[in-house]
Amino acid sequence: MTLIFGGLYALTDVNLTIRPGLITSIIGPNGAGKTSLLNCISGFYHPTRGKIHFGERALTHAAPHQVSSWGIARAFQNLELFKGLTVLDNLMLARHRNLRYSLWHALIYWGKASRLEAENRAFVEEIIDFMELEPHRKHPVGSLSYGVQKRVEVARALTMAPQLLLLDEPMAGMNIEEKEDMVRFILDIQKERRITVVLVEHDLGVVMDISDHIYVLDFGQLIGSGRPDEVARDPKVIEAYIGEK
Amino acid sequence: MSSNRWFATGNFFSSYKAEQRIFFTHLDRTVFAVFLLALFVWPLCVELSNKYMLVLDNILIAMIAIIGLNLVTGFAGLISIGHAAFVGVGAYTLAFVARQLGDSHILITHAWPLMLVLCGLVGALFGAFVGLPALRLKHLYLAIATLSFQMIFQWTINFLPLFNQGQTIPIGRIYWFTGMVSRQNHYIFWYYVILTLVVLMGLAVRNLLRTRFGRSLVAVRDNDRAADAMGMHPGLTKVFAFALAGFFAGVAGALHAYLYRGAGIESFTLHQSITYLAMAIVGGLGTLTGSFWGPAAIRFLDLQVENMVEWSAHFLPATLNLATALKPLTFGLVIVLFLMFEPRGIANWWRICRTYLKLWPYRY
Repeated sequence: MTLIFGGLYALTDVNLTIRPGLITSIIGPNGAGKTSLLNCISGFYHPTRGKIHFGERALTHAAPHQVSSWGIARAFQNLELFKGLTVLDNLMLARHRNLRYSLWHALIYWGKASRLEAENRAFVEEIIDFMELEPHRKHPVGSLSYGVQKRVEVARALTMAPQLLLLDEPMAGMNIEEKEDMVRFILDIQKERRITVVLVEHDLGVVMDISDHIYVLDFGQLIGSGRPDEVARDPKVIEAYIGEK
Repeated sequence: MSSNRWFATGNFFSSYKAEQRIFFTHLDRTVFAVFLLALFVWPLCVELSNKYMLVLDNILIAMIAIIGLNLVTGFAGLISIGHAAFVGVGAYTLAFVARQLGDSHILITHAWPLMLVLCGLVGALFGAFVGLPALRLKHLYLAIATLSFQMIFQWTINFLPLFNQGQTIPIGRIYWFTGMVSRQNHYIFWYYVILTLVVLMGLAVRNLLRTRFGRSLVAVRDNDRAADAMGMHPGLTKVFAFALAGFFAGVAGALHAYLYRGAGIESFTLHQSITYLAMAIVGGLGTLTGSFWGPAAIRFLDLQVENMVEWSAHFLPATLNLATALKPLTFGLVIVLFLMFEPRGIANWWRICRTYLKLWPYRY
């Protein structure tokens, strides 16, 4: 697919397949088009040419709220949380689609609304447990530290119970300890919850360690792909990252 | 739950349903019930002059309008400078019916609860329509769109003979089970009606705010990109917020017309819109309790200024018209002071008082 902004080719003839059940990483230098690619998949941008398919469905022209309802969730690079709400409410918002009660039920808050809220709360608590957010449950997100906010961001995407999870630099700006935690979470997400993960990340050490498959982007073009060890030896990738000898 | 549901000392929830409660202890609930009871019973013990009864009724009507304004401006973060126009839509819906069918038609005099709902629905319809620019516009640009509705509304009413060109359109006396509500019972009767409505609508909104509808309003306020990714349509959520605000405004407008037994344009001007915004700010934007504190505080302030002017007339020359100068001055001063020193409004003082009382006599 190709994405053009005015005269700028953000993505040129990028063609990639994400296999279910695996961790696929997309790497590349700054401005390579990684986030643009995720934006295309999650419906915030629409490719100028080309197509995106998710199983049987065509995502090419779908709006973000449609994409998310089809089982693709996304954690943003720059925190896009609801800062005035608590961690709990942020995660409950991710269950928005599953809370199928009418306005009347909501106004009376009896029976169906109350029951569905409690059921979904149980699901949210499971995620809170999984992402180890228990101490922060009732705190407004804006008051939490950066590392925790990043974790809430991933937790929120996970709360949507997706089949495909798009993580945009979940480890940016974290210290070693927080990174290790996050890596553990990502591996658990894949192994325990059987969710396909697409990871965009700058930390090559992490990417090489946990990915099953890697795509390398540079200036909007796909310059390499394969298993981590293959990519690490690819001369074109080395050139993009380190420069010519 | 803790074994003692009267003085729970911590968080002892054992089910998610238990945590949904509005009142966590029996004490909270009892205090609230007693407070409500007192609101209903005091008119039997104390007799207030019509002047003060009218002030009370006005405060209660403003509370209904401010609940709506708070939903759209406080919770959904969409500044509405045309709230008085939405209130006017409610009042003029009633006036329209009165003009078409006669001011003492059975629909107006007997089926008045139906008319209240109808006016609310028409208000919601106009709210949704005026909210349509929210699909594209944001922040100040949207505020200007609501301001333009205020202008269009005033212009339309002022120039259409159908609406008596803004002059008062009379509305007949209404009937209750005991017969026609007489002149001397008018204000006390409406006090009870409006109070009941405030309680019912307040509880409904309290419920709404703890469901997906309430959360989605705050979501589009805080981050509508992420709201989109959560699977809601941010634009439609904003239109929904405007419709809700329009409904509350419409009901308030119909009550206003019934209370004054007529609808005239001077109650629904831009000035009134700004007063509503001030009430919401002083009360506390984005809080439900703020919707009750704000109108009470601003009207009380008005009353005090009036009393002071009357008192000063004893020794100041009558030519010095203090009232015209002092009212806007104090009004503006209060808003500025609140914006500077307590942007979270009176609701925040209330919150601080409550937490203090909860822990008393301990400090933490």
